Amino acid sequence: MSAPPLVVMTGITKRFPGVVANDDVSLELRAGEVHALVGENGAGKSTLMRVLYGMYPHDAGTIEVRGEAVKIHSPRDAIGLGIGMVHQHFVLVDPFTVAENVILGREGSALIDEEDAARKVQDLANTYGFQIDPTAKVEDLSVGEEQRVEILKALYRGVDVLILDEPTAVLTPTETKSLFANLRALRDSGKTIVFISHKLEEVLDIADRITVLRRGKVVGETTPAGTTKAQLAEMMVGRPILFRLEKPVVEPGEPVLVLDDVHAGRLHGLDLVVRAGEIVGVAGVEGNGQRDLSDAIMGLRHVDSGSIVLEGREITGMDTESIRQSGTGFVPEDRHDQGLVLDMSLWENSILGRQDDAEFSGRAGVMLIGKIKRSAERLVRAYDVRARNVDTVARTLSGGNQQKLILARELEGNPKLLLAAQPTRGLDVGAIEFVWRQILEQKAEGRAVLLISAELDEIYSLADRIVTLFEGKITGEYPPDAPPEEVGRGMLGDIRTEAS
Amino acid sequence: MATTPMTVPETHRRERPEWIDNLAGQLLAVVIALIIALLLGSLIILGYGESPRVVYGAIFHYGFGTRDGFGYVLTEATPLIFSALAVAVCFKGGMFNIGVEGQYLVGMVTASWAALKLDFLPGPLLMWAAIAFGILGGIVWALVPAILKVRTGAHEVVTTIMMNGIAVSLVAWAINGPLKYTQQAGFHTPNLRTDAFRANARIPDLGHVFGIGLSVHLSWLLIGALITAVAVWFILKRTRLGYEARAVGSSPGSARAGGISIGNVQIKLFVISGALAGLVGMQQLLGDKNYLPIGYEAALGFTGIAVAFLGQNSAVGIVAAAILWGVLARGETAVQIETTVPPEFVIILEGILIISVVVTYQLAKRRLLGRQLQRAADVENLEDSAAAADIEGLAKEDR
Repeated sequence: MSAPPLVVMTGITKRFPGVVANDDVSLELRAGEVHALVGENGAGKSTLMRVLYGMYPHDAGTIEVRGEAVKIHSPRDAIGLGIGMVHQHFVLVDPFTVAENVILGREGSALIDEEDAARKVQDLANTYGFQIDPTAKVEDLSVGEEQRVEILKALYRGVDVLILDEPTAVLTPTETKSLFANLRALRDSGKTIVFISHKLEEVLDIADRITVLRRGKVVGETTPAGTTKAQLAEMMVGRPILFRLEKPVVEPGEPVLVLDDVHAGRLHGLDLVVRAGEIVGVAGVEGNGQRDLSDAIMGLRHVDSGSIVLEGREITGMDTESIRQSGTGFVPEDRHDQGLVLDMSLWENSILGRQDDAEFSGRAGVMLIGKIKRSAERLVRAYDVRARNVDTVARTLSGGNQQKLILARELEGNPKLLLAAQPTRGLDVGAIEFVWRQILEQKAEGRAVLLISAELDEIYSLADRIVTLFEGKITGEYPPDAPPEEVGRGMLGDIRTEAS
Repeated sequence: MATTPMTVPETHRRERPEWIDNLAGQLLAVVIALIIALLLGSLIILGYGESPRVVYGAIFHYGFGTRDGFGYVLTEATPLIFSALAVAVCFKGGMFNIGVEGQYLVGMVTASWAALKLDFLPGPLLMWAAIAFGILGGIVWALVPAILKVRTGAHEVVTTIMMNGIAVSLVAWAINGPLKYTQQAGFHTPNLRTDAFRANARIPDLGHVFGIGLSVHLSWLLIGALITAVAVWFILKRTRLGYEARAVGSSPGSARAGGISIGNVQIKLFVISGALAGLVGMQQLLGDKNYLPIGYEAALGFTGIAVAFLGQNSAVGIVAAAILWGVLARGETAVQIETTVPPEFVIILEGILIISVVVTYQLAKRRLLGRQLQRAADVENLEDSAAAADIEGLAKEDR
């Protein structure tokens, strides 16, 4: 506690058109600590760190590093001061080896001595206990390994402060554990880690100190010992949050959705049944066929073989419009790419997928705009979509409000099946709770829900049955009280012989 | 709690509607761009030792100073309205129809064929038949790249450029073949044009109603163009097809997930675009010349791209932009007759104008988006990932 702070940010203010992303924020980073920055999406965590990393100029405030006032104009300046950052999206050259990626930009001379580079990188990895093969090509690495390469890149440049932006968002539980082991080793060797996250359990596990941001302001500073998950959540959101929602008890009915030996894209013989009144949670590391699964069900991609049956009716090969009309509500994993037309108004977005309804489209295909707007206003009120009016362009809404609009639209037609893919991705805690309640509500009303999520937490909170997806196959089925480690093994392809 | 529905805060607060903001912003952008273009143009004029006041004065006078002058402007604008609308319709659906050029050339050939071969049709029927065949020709020429795109994924920019090349040859073939000039072939100067159409193929003159000379050839097609502009606006803004087209153009993934058949929409748009393109040549053919000449290189299809852009693909904007373009086209004559500045100066001016508009529109858009985000944030009272991401994107562009 007595060591002088390594980095002191004082009174940092950063404005974007229309938003104050950081409002008079002060932060101290000490040598040899893991400092967690927590807050909801848009609270200003990443912005603050991008200011420190020289990506954004700040409008007011000062930065001191090792007691000296500094101006950081670019990431190059930041690295020069010993500050490195690993972004959520990795910037690696896929066909290059690990070592080549690590030394990229720091080659030293025009001629590259590959062996020397590999040796240096290996030494560096050994120092901090990183398991990595410096001669492996990046394109062959797993996500967790790629992240290690990114961290090594920063360490190779001699940084003392390592900023990690949502590092666990892309990792499995096991990979997260090994990342944390690496981070502890780094901390013990005197490095400072800034851990940006909104996953509170992880923060309580890894952090030495925690700074909470809300709406661009620091609302508190604490330590894991001095707080609880519930207290942290309340600081983040500004009101108490329920983490476990009551799951309504419903006796599952007839099968609504049956997939039999489906081959499509990354799906290699997938079998799945979802019954009325149950939520089936598909857990899995991203990239194991989740997108192909939802696209195949919605008729958005070609199904090579196998069959998909909705309420006893074969829908394989049917077009999306017909599949929607036979009673499917779809919350896509990427709401910008598959959910909303961002440059259209809310009322226009509120009928996407139902534009053919006689209710909205009159004779000769002329749209009944008055009726559509009235219906949109009703939906916006019922689902608490906060917008100025229904003429507002969808792009200007927050992620949570966009997702509410999609839910409103998709649930409006009383679907028999709700297909929800990553329904809370990028949402803040308050919006997550809303979405979860809506999904549980669907089940309570006897609808079938297929939930595809990379967040185990979400699967556990909602699902009545958990199945794991690995390389396009279902590798296991688990009750909702199965230990996470077991489900985690299924997510990595450990096929469990069926017990139940 | 979040689940209890609450009233939307201040939903109906009285405020300027967004479209007025948008319109005002765009208008301002054009005006500023025009000023920039005129200022830069002044430098060139000064380089020629002329006075900008005299040169711009001449352009203005030729465009607006006399009835005939303005008549010329409108005559120039008429085909450009059709051609820019043709470009805009595809553009709204996310496609770039560079083939308006070829489509209108083919439309001229098919219209000429109808005017010459169906000359037994009485009264205005011949004119309508020629126009119908012009539309048909445009549609057929547009359908080829449309089908290729939907069936094989061939990019419309490539295929329409190719179709343009074929269209040029098709005109030459038609004039040397089935539509060859029959009256008398000069020994050394073969007459490279079709026979003259019968008088009832002509589109009646509109200009004389307003005291504009017959030699200006301002025809009723202008009214047709204005009605068409309204129709295109209606289709894009008020019909399901327009809705689907805008969804496909703006976010194909979401449109598809919403059950919209993208290929279907694209073909329909190309058909409409081709039909509009088919009308581009009608002013020249049925309003002015009354025969199809060869070497017809007015490039109305390509100019339509510039006009559509200047008018930001909106029907109202396109009409205004087409008139502005008409003034500039007329200005070439003005500059040639009244000043020592070469007429190509006007082409340079057009180029500068387009570039300035690119810049000012972009700036206007950014400001407007910033304001919308501000308002959205006011309502939501919290910023968020989506909006913040957009703003951050803008901030990056800014630097």
